[in-house]
Amino acid sequence: MAPSGSGVAQAARRRARYPARYSALALLRRGKRPWPPILRGGELASSYDAVVVGGGVHGLATAYYLASNWGITNVAVLDKGYLGGGGSGRNTAIVRSNYLTPEGVAFYDRSLRLYERLALDLNLNVMFSRRGHLTLAHSDGALRTMRWRAEVNKQVGVDSEVIGPGEIKRLVPALDVSEAPRYPILGALHHPPGGIIRHDAVVWGYARAAAALGVETHQSTEVLDVATSGGDGPDGKGPGGRVTGVRTSRGDVSTPVVVNCTAGWASLIAAMVGLRLPISTHPLQAAVTEPVKLFLPAVVVSGSLHVYVSQTDRGELVFGAAVDPLATYDTAGSLSFAEDLAGHVLQLMPGLGRMRLLRQWSGLCDMTPDYSPIIGPTPVDGFHCDVGWGTYGFKAAPVAGEQLAACIATGEVPELIAPFTLDRFAAGRLVGEKGAAAVGH
Amino acid sequence: MSPQRLPARPGEVIDRRRPLSFTWNGRALSGFAGDTIVSALAASGCRVFSRSMKYHRPRGILTADYWDPNTLVQVGDEPNVRGGHRLLEAHMAASAQNAWPSLRWDAKTLTALGGRALSAGFYYKTFMRPRWLWPTYEKVLARFAPGGVIDPESAPRRHDKRYAHPDVVVAGGGPAGLAAAAAAGQAGAAVMLVEHEHAVGGHLRWDGASGRAAASELAEAARAAGVEILTDATVAGRWEDNWLAIVERAAGGGPERLIKARAKVLVVAAGLIERPYVFAGNDRPGVMLSQGARRLANLWAVRPGSRAVVFSANAAGDAAAADLEAAGVAVEHVDARTGRTVTAAEGRRNALERVVLSDGSRLEADLLVTAAGWTAPTSLLNMAGVRPCYDPTAARFFPAEPGVSEAGAVLSTGGISGDGTLEAHVSHGEATGRLAAARAATLAHRLRVATAWAAPVNGPEPPLVPDERTPLGRHRHPALFCSSTDGMVDFSEDVSSRDLRNAAAEGFDSVELVKRWTTATMGSAQGKLETVNTVAVLAEATGSTISEVGTTTWRPPFAPVTLGALAGRPFEPVRVSSLHDLHVAAGMAPISAGQWIRPEHYGEPQAEVRNVRANVGIIDVSPLGKLDIQGPDATDLLSLLYLNKWRRLAVGSVRYGVMCAEDGVILDDGVTGRLGEDHYLMSTTSSGAGAVEVWIQNWLQTEHPDWRVRVTPVTDAFTSINVAGPRSRTLLERLTDDVDLSPEAFKYMQVRRGTVAGVASCVMWRIGFTGELSYELHVPAGHGPHVWSALLAAGGDLGVAPFGLEAQRVMRLEKGHFIVGQDTDALTKAPTAGLEWLIKLDKEDFCGLPELRWALDGEPGGAPEALQRLVAVQPTDPAYVPPEACQIVAAGPGGTERIIGRITSSRYSPTLERSICLAQVEADHPGAGTQLTVVDVSGRRHRATVMADHAHFDPEGGRLRG
Amino acid sequence: MLLVPCPHCGPRNSADLTLVGETEPRPDPATTTPAEWRAYLYEEHNPAGWCRETWHCRLGCGRFFVTERHRGANRFRHPPLGASAGEPGEAR
Repeated sequence: MAPSGSGVAQAARRRARYPARYSALALLRRGKRPWPPILRGGELASSYDAVVVGGGVHGLATAYYLASNWGITNVAVLDKGYLGGGGSGRNTAIVRSNYLTPEGVAFYDRSLRLYERLALDLNLNVMFSRRGHLTLAHSDGALRTMRWRAEVNKQVGVDSEVIGPGEIKRLVPALDVSEAPRYPILGALHHPPGGIIRHDAVVWGYARAAAALGVETHQSTEVLDVATSGGDGPDGKGPGGRVTGVRTSRGDVSTPVVVNCTAGWASLIAAMVGLRLPISTHPLQAAVTEPVKLFLPAVVVSGSLHVYVSQTDRGELVFGAAVDPLATYDTAGSLSFAEDLAGHVLQLMPGLGRMRLLRQWSGLCDMTPDYSPIIGPTPVDGFHCDVGWGTYGFKAAPVAGEQLAACIATGEVPELIAPFTLDRFAAGRLVGEKGAAAVGH
Repeated sequence: MSPQRLPARPGEVIDRRRPLSFTWNGRALSGFAGDTIVSALAASGCRVFSRSMKYHRPRGILTADYWDPNTLVQVGDEPNVRGGHRLLEAHMAASAQNAWPSLRWDAKTLTALGGRALSAGFYYKTFMRPRWLWPTYEKVLARFAPGGVIDPESAPRRHDKRYAHPDVVVAGGGPAGLAAAAAAGQAGAAVMLVEHEHAVGGHLRWDGASGRAAASELAEAARAAGVEILTDATVAGRWEDNWLAIVERAAGGGPERLIKARAKVLVVAAGLIERPYVFAGNDRPGVMLSQGARRLANLWAVRPGSRAVVFSANAAGDAAAADLEAAGVAVEHVDARTGRTVTAAEGRRNALERVVLSDGSRLEADLLVTAAGWTAPTSLLNMAGVRPCYDPTAARFFPAEPGVSEAGAVLSTGGISGDGTLEAHVSHGEATGRLAAARAATLAHRLRVATAWAAPVNGPEPPLVPDERTPLGRHRHPALFCSSTDGMVDFSEDVSSRDLRNAAAEGFDSVELVKRWTTATMGSAQGKLETVNTVAVLAEATGSTISEVGTTTWRPPFAPVTLGALAGRPFEPVRVSSLHDLHVAAGMAPISAGQWIRPEHYGEPQAEVRNVRANVGIIDVSPLGKLDIQGPDATDLLSLLYLNKWRRLAVGSVRYGVMCAEDGVILDDGVTGRLGEDHYLMSTTSSGAGAVEVWIQNWLQTEHPDWRVRVTPVTDAFTSINVAGPRSRTLLERLTDDVDLSPEAFKYMQVRRGTVAGVASCVMWRIGFTGELSYELHVPAGHGPHVWSALLAAGGDLGVAPFGLEAQRVMRLEKGHFIVGQDTDALTKAPTAGLEWLIKLDKEDFCGLPELRWALDGEPGGAPEALQRLVAVQPTDPAYVPPEACQIVAAGPGGTERIIGRITSSRYSPTLERSICLAQVEADHPGAGTQLTVVDVSGRRHRATVMADHAHFDPEGGRLRG
Repeated sequence: MLLVPCPHCGPRNSADLTLVGETEPRPDPATTTPAEWRAYLYEEHNPAGWCRETWHCRLGCGRFFVTERHRGANRFRHPPLGASAGEPGEAR
């Protein structure tokens, strides 16, 4: 399966008309005067062609591609908090496409390609740092999985290779590749196209570009219920029904299309139309150190040690781990996370003991049984899902938005997202990403 | 004598009899014991300590404490040392961070010239075209990364951890905290008091003779009450049920130590942090906060300037003016309460020369001290769910619920809770301490009652004491945040009030958005100095109130913690069998297999294979999971767990079984022997041993609690040795006399119990993972080394030799046995592995029954399409061994290739003298003789053939049945 | 770290226990349909409120037990410490 352009035919592409384009020259001209607002908001209208629930990177990307690729601009993005306040602003901003299954690789490869030119598409520098991504293997079994991923990647046309300790040391001198650690580094999956990006900038870029195309974004606007009719359940909810509108904390609006682009609240929004999802919500924690001068040139991940680390352009080390095993909506985080994380980082790089952890936080991840998303139509007509993104939602936002917009506009499920529709669970045909995604950043 | 050091002063904390020499940017200087790095430098006349992050502006002392954003320094190989807090040590090598090539002349100051375009977030708006230049831009931007230098090669240090179970933890050793700790201790509670600074007393330490006297009296009372006092330590975080992280920065002079404490009650007495005032030039060296000036003068006898303007809105500012005058500084007092404010601090490059006031007057000065108000560091209370609430009268935030949260297990006292005289704070602290002790007693009682096995609790529950403390007052304070001019709001991040206003105009109009766009509050102090000013500027810009804007979430840790302290000592236990020392002596090549260290081989794995096939070999298989299962319902349990049937298994026989999860995916496999009517010994895979035990317990306890069956893990109780090869019977016969080993008496797939090498109660299974006649001996673990040595000694003439994991893997592949987790994966259901013969759909129930029924029956909606099949594969080129995980492809549409499977196991077989594999391929390619294309890691294509049987060698099994 | 009220061991650090999952009755394997069985396998209530859960006291007594936890506020119905927890408010 070769990556196939955008994957779907598109209606006439629209270009965003910005009140003020960003450029170096414009910056100098404007000096210290403020720039025009990036958003379009105001009062809620009484009806929209589509309502996107969740003002994170997935919701905004979906709205942007609906407007730019399909000319559907009468769209409102609603968020109960602020723009990008959920997973979009809490993730560790790693992008990569070295997945395990051919369908996963093709999907994320398209996303990475969109990310690579996103700054130009959105006229906002998302600061994509293509610095390479190393997934370390500390056992024969892990090495075998790395080779599996590399071989699938190469077959689909994605640059990945298994490398040995010597090459690892050359790429990241700070790593201890000796035999001394309890779990020595035996090899790594090297994925040169992977890297990090400014996650907030992606949110703002999509929001600003969508606004320039006419999309409204309403923050502090909570969706309280989704109105449906004709369904099997009480109040016309449930399978077989169709969406008619949403009730929000700022009033009711009518719409034939509701897109659930939430993370952490996906089950609750789906319950509003009478659907139960195969999702369990878990916190995922992350942490950042004080800045030091740059010494870590690549993204380093160890699945066995449950840790991933990269150094930002600001000099901070950004750490993440596996999701907390305890399902909860509480984002208080934990001390054991920081302890385990530090222990694992020091196994990889024993010289970092004097660096200080500055801040830790957590976000909510909706975990599915097969570590793959749920995207596309549902048994409730007009209710679309873009949920269940586990720990890998940020890296998929451009392709998910693009393909879901196509799905909504055409009524057809595009090939790239066909493996990830909700009906796979009832049919018992799960996606085989579980092995690769367990700590897959 | 250092130029700025004052003559000896009462209350100074330096020891003038103990001078210490150190270096600053390579220059030799000296200070005294008790100095901080910053006080010693300030005494030596240093005014510039760092360069700012973005504009590389020179920066001087702001607060002279831990939170000072301008005095982070490099000490040896340690970056980002808080110079305002870290005590001076002899021969310390300190240097400035973020200055190039030198602190005095910094080349990056040039960015200030371009500063016109370098507003917050400028980088999002440029460097986009041309796209190919971005990597270069990126490298340039990266050069501006702030902070010190880490040496990844620096030697790790050993950090200990400590667990503590105090009744009451008091965070903060100021007057209220000391009083609370003492009162709680007097009431009988075990109390730990945690003070961030190097000594208790809080602001009393620099508050004159009466303050110092009060401090020592309070500290003495706390000590007398048995309070454990930790200094230079911080309560870094608070989680559910008062789980606390306490970091001791210099525990007993050693490296940082993490204390994990489960406190019954937490008292937050963190005091107040002084807030900078925002005006043009407020980041110029010579502009400092009143607490910084007072600390310098009173604690370390350093004159912070010679001619000062003191801009004061409160008593602390007035006291600073008095202190400076007493230190011989000429002071001009500007009283903010009269409405006069500072609008600018002006001067030459690195120096303050004059202060401009709102009435237009200009005052000559080399020191400007501001006392504009306070910030309550409510982090720990926030972590307990208490929200900060703004009070416009006092012009600061307070905890929304003063003193009560989570059933009264978190209390607050002192400045964070309100204002008042010293007596009022002490009395509130004492009341808080008594309340904390009473609540801790109630909670301790409940804890014991809730613990079934605890000793019975005597007496009734102590009543939950209501909070009847007299609240502290709130004094009126002018609302001073930002002057009429723009200045720095975040010194660490170089974010100005203009940046914040512009961000609000661009739509970043909530505090969380403005924080992310500008990075305000994201620096070293994490908002302790910056948040409230950010909120105030934003409120003004958006025409709302400070309450409406609210604050950002305070996140742990309260003070940064080193990775070393968080990590503690590495604890990565290793499991070895009782034979480990013998393996080492025999020259094993070790391999790490999960937790276990096992012999991969003893030199030549291929020779080990040949020896087993020709003679006899012994292998240590102790890591195999083993469960002893007993009880009248044991057979029902096995029938539930395994796909196949167990009711007719005769006593004395063993049977192979496969377990699936409820989705039909293969979970584990192994053999189980029936030792008695109601007694089985089950073996599991080595890696699955723990999970299988939990899986069984879950079924027994939740679905079948009525079953009478006991399951005991006995993995470590036995040393397991497999004796394999055509001469294994001969060898074993020499060591066994109470078991008839003849082929007629002890058949394949049978179990016996007997004596081996004089060791009674050995369990012997006749099974054959290697495909040879073989006996698996489960020997009581303590006798393992004896039996192993006896086998080697008795079989010298038979050619007995140990073999390792690698030889076993080769032989099991020759026989086509799959390994769960290698040849199967998270989607592999039983039919994929060719286990149809094992699945007994006519059983009433077993784990995964419905899924397997649909998979076998092909019921509509039941069986997923394109089920994979596990097959044996042989490359056409017998010398080519495809690496495991190589992909198998077939022609796809339009001349493309499609992945149809992968090699799951591969080895060179010394027995067959060719390469052999197991592979998973799509279900429509499994027929014997099917030609496959295997893609090597190099990209080369190799032909291979699907074999009729999983077993490459002896498919009829004649050898193991012999 | 959350204290989990094990009925035998008393309140224990959550790191000592495993949350097995939502407590759901297992359909009769003899009569179940694919839709019902897969709903049992995969679907979750996943409430932000009270949830009946099965826990395993892994490093303690080894027992499996059922308890109720508020998944929004991460509190148990019968908290190990504290007076009457009452209905927790919104998730922190």
